[in-house]
Order: sequence, then C-alpha cells, then structure tokens
Amino acid sequence: MHVVRVVLAFLRVAALNELQYRANFVLQLIQSLLALGTGLVILALVFDQVTDLNGWTHPQILAVMGVHVMMGGLIQMVIQPNILQFMADIEEGTFDYVLTRPVDAQLLVSIRSFRIWQATDVLVGAVVLIIAVTRPGHAVEPATAMLFAASFLVGWAMLYSVWLILATTAFWFVHVDQIVDLLNGFYQAGRWPVGIYPGWLRHGLTFLVPLAYAITVPAEVLTSKVSAGAVAGAAAFAVVLVALARWFWRAGLRRYASASS
Amino acid sequence: MEPAIRVARLCKTFSVPERDPGVRAALAALFHRKTREVTAVVDVSLEIASGEIVGFLGPNGAGKTTTLKVLSGLLHPTSGDVRVLGHVPAMRETAYLCEIALVMGNRNQLQWDIPVADSFLLHRTIYRIPWADFRRRRDELVALLELEDLLRKPVRNLSLGERMRAELAASLLHAPRVLFFDEPTLGLDVVMQKRMREFVAEYNRRHGATILLTSHYMADVSTLCRRVIVIHRGRICFDGDLETLSDEVAAYKEIWVTLGEPADLSMYGEIRSCDGVRIALRVPKASAPGVTARLLQNHPVLDLTVEDPPLEDVIEMAFRAGPSAPDVAPPSEDRVR
Repeated sequence: MHVVRVVLAFLRVAALNELQYRANFVLQLIQSLLALGTGLVILALVFDQVTDLNGWTHPQILAVMGVHVMMGGLIQMVIQPNILQFMADIEEGTFDYVLTRPVDAQLLVSIRSFRIWQATDVLVGAVVLIIAVTRPGHAVEPATAMLFAASFLVGWAMLYSVWLILATTAFWFVHVDQIVDLLNGFYQAGRWPVGIYPGWLRHGLTFLVPLAYAITVPAEVLTSKVSAGAVAGAAAFAVVLVALARWFWRAGLRRYASASS
Repeated sequence: MEPAIRVARLCKTFSVPERDPGVRAALAALFHRKTREVTAVVDVSLEIASGEIVGFLGPNGAGKTTTLKVLSGLLHPTSGDVRVLGHVPAMRETAYLCEIALVMGNRNQLQWDIPVADSFLLHRTIYRIPWADFRRRRDELVALLELEDLLRKPVRNLSLGERMRAELAASLLHAPRVLFFDEPTLGLDVVMQKRMREFVAEYNRRHGATILLTSHYMADVSTLCRRVIVIHRGRICFDGDLETLSDEVAAYKEIWVTLGEPADLSMYGEIRSCDGVRIALRVPKASAPGVTARLLQNHPVLDLTVEDPPLEDVIEMAFRAGPSAPDVAPPSEDRVR
C-alpha cells in the first residue's frame, strides 16, 4: 500500500512538473502523429507490393505497429526518464539521497521521473491497435483481451529488466549513457514482427533484447497467432529476467562508491 | 545507556581508476585499465551518546565524508562494526532510514521545478508521516527557519541560503533522531551561517537529536560542538572536548599588547606581529602569567589581552600532528578556514 502511495506521489510530482510546460504536450502530440504517419506510409508502400510478409497480413502488422507505439510510449514515459536520471545521479553524486530514503532503492530509481506527455504515444498506439484488430464480425473476446493485457505486462517487465541491467553497469563504469541510444536503436527493429527477420537476428530479438516477447507476442495474442501456453512461457522468462535484474542491482549497490564530497 | 552511534575498527578502501594524462594514455586505458587501492578510513573507533553534537574535523581527503556515508548507510564498510541506534547502517532497513537524516551542503534533494510545499508533501508520503505530525513539524520548522514566504516558490527560484533552509526543513520533517551534517553551511554568507547554527542548536535543545557535523568553518565547530573528533589520513588523531584539544596540541597563549612607545619584546616570547606599538606575542601557556606581569611592570602598557590560540591554528596543528599526535610547532601564517 505504501508502495502505491509513493508511486502516486511521484506521479503527482511529475504532473506538477509537466503542467508547467504545456507546450510540451502539443509538441509531443505532433511528434507522435508524425512518427505514426511515417510508419503507416511505409506499411502502405510495402503492402502495395505484397499481400503478406512471411505470413503476416496488413492488419496483423498494423497490430504489431500499434503495440510497438504503445510500448514505446511507456518506455519513453516511465523507463527511459528514470534510467537517465539514475545515470545522471551516479555521475553527479546525487544518488546518495536515494539511498537515504526509506523506500526500496530500485523502486525509487524506477518511479522518480515520469514524462506524462509521452502518454500521447500510448493513446495513439492503442487507437491503431484497436483499428487493426476490430473488424465487423471479428470482435475481440474478453479472454483474449485479458491475455493480451497479461502478455503486454510481461513484455514490459522484460524490457524494464533489460534497461535496468544495462543501467546498473553505471555502478562500475559510471558513464553508460550510450545504452539509451543502443536500446532505442534495437527498439526500432520491433516495429516489424520478429518472425520476418533472419534466424540469428530473430534469436537476438527474443532472448537478448526481448522485443519478440514485448511486441510481437502481444500482437500475436490479439491476432490469434499464439496460444496461452506461449504467453505462460514468456511469463516464466520474464520472472527469470526480473530476478536477474534485481540480483544485479543489489550487487551494484554493494559496489557503489559514491561521488566525491 | 546504549550510545546512539558506535563504530569499532572501521576500515573503508576504494578501488580508484587512474591513468596518465594525454590521448595515448586514454586510448591505452580502454584496453588495460589501472586501478589503485585507496584507503579512506583506517581503524576508526568512536562512540557518540544520544543528544550529543560532535564536530568531525579533518583536512580535505581525511575520511570525514566517507565515515559519514558509512554511518548513513550509503557505503558498505570494508571491515569493522558500525551501529547507529542499534541498526547496521549498510543493511538500510526502513526503520533505520526513518530515524536518520543526511544533509549535505550545496547538494539538492528537493524537487527542482515545483514549490517547496509540494516537495514537503512528497517527503511526507515517503516517510509515512501522519498528517497531524506532519503539519505540526512543518509549522515548527517553517517558523524556526522563516520559510513562510518561500513555501510557494519553486526551488530553482530560491537563493542558495533559502534553498539550504528549505533543505534543512525537509530533512527534519520526519523527526530523525540522528542527523549527519556534511558541511551544511558550505557557500552560505556569514549571516545565513549564523542562522543555521542557531537553528541546529535550538533543534538539538528541543528534540535531543544526536548530531554529527563536518565543517571547515571553525565558527560552526566552536559554536555548536563541545566535543570534536579530528581525523587525518583516515585515522582518528583526537577525540575529546575543544579545551583539551587546545591544551594538548597548542600549549601556548597569544598576548596582544599595545604600548605607549615602541619596544623590543622578543625576549618575552615569539613575536607574531608587530605594528609599531601594537605587538602580538606567542608564549608557552605555563609562562603566560609571568610574562604578562613583567610586561605590565617593565613597559608602558596601554592595552593587553591574553587569548587562547585561534581554533583554526589548533585544528591545523592537530592535522599536522596526525594520528600519533606528538607536540608540533605552531603554524605559520596560512590558516585553516
């Protein structure tokens, strides 16, 4: 309960911060629509030439795009700003104050910064997803919707864990800002179903940077291309990743040397 | 009664990367990184009773902040036993963190872009402070630190002095029993320094909080601390009250005398300064009464004062003495700030 209150308190602070910069909302919306528009144009160009991509139809790839935009919005809204602040704290010595708070340090590091206006990406992605999966006579069953929500959550937990593991290396190397660009670069590959890539890349995008589980699998749930068993397997993998991230984080905390006074 | 802080044979070493200057060395370091073991704290043992205000002094790099950070749970000790209020700080238990506060001079913990009052509310949630207690403590701290006009301002619009007062208030909202102050008056003007000292003394008087304070400003130490711990090169070289420190390390007095006519007073002691008729002499403590009597007897004295050596000189001598603390000669003109 205290955890929920702390999360809500930081959400409130983030809202107070962002509400001071209203222009950001308009700019963010424009940016989201531009990015989406570009993606839709590319999709249309591809499907002008082919009727499917390695077994994926136009609506199914549109669903992948919707999940990609939603997940990207969540990353930009929650994960990336907190990871960036954590890395800045390590460099500048302000991480000390995080450790003196009576809140789990990993939780605190993960919720201190929200970029509220990035929620526009989540909304835009949700709209695209709804358009992709709802056709006359083909409504989404409640069980499918719940399985989708579960697989989306599992995918999000995996991506968060990968981001955290890489950011934790800051305890050893201090300057690791490049991981943000690296992960954002990889993330662009998730715009397309992982199945269309060659084997070596497919495996990398499944087990190293688990975009397959984060984006493709939730889209597959909604387009009836995957079963509940597959989602259960993804959940098991997520548990391992989350545990690994937690263990590594605690190792990093013990290693923490603080900055000069 | 159990001491609030107990440290037994604390050691802390760091592995620090180092390389030669230059691009070639930087490139080589990409493939072969050299590190050096730095011992920041060696065999430090101390006990601080509940309610004490203790000054923790030492030159830059002596190990003060490292010790403070070990005590506040930021750093794991390399070896030794550390207990604060019965807790092991490195475990960072919630109950422990709710009982301590760390205030570092010129470091910011408040939310930068929102009003001070909103930062206080966030603090209330994090520390689970009941509303009634929160309002009472907030009102007390706002009154003591004169923050009424600042509560609605974003932190980034405050001056350094205003921000430090707000930081101090935020740190005390949860009524910590142990306060770690790491150079809390750093960068503040003399008026603000005085206000901060008065506040800390009053807070200690009202709430009996145990305070461990590091500072390079001797006025902080002399005003607030009866007891000082001097640390140098990672080792404690003195632990006791200021008068004893002065007696042990700086066994001399300074005699300021204004004469009716110029005279050579070098036979009485070491001349520290001579401005025509105003002369400063340094004499051993034991001989100060005799020297004073002879000056009054043999010379037309218009004014005479006998003073203990400035605290800055005493501390500097303690630093130079180091952990083994033999007697040393008094310092020259360069002084500790």
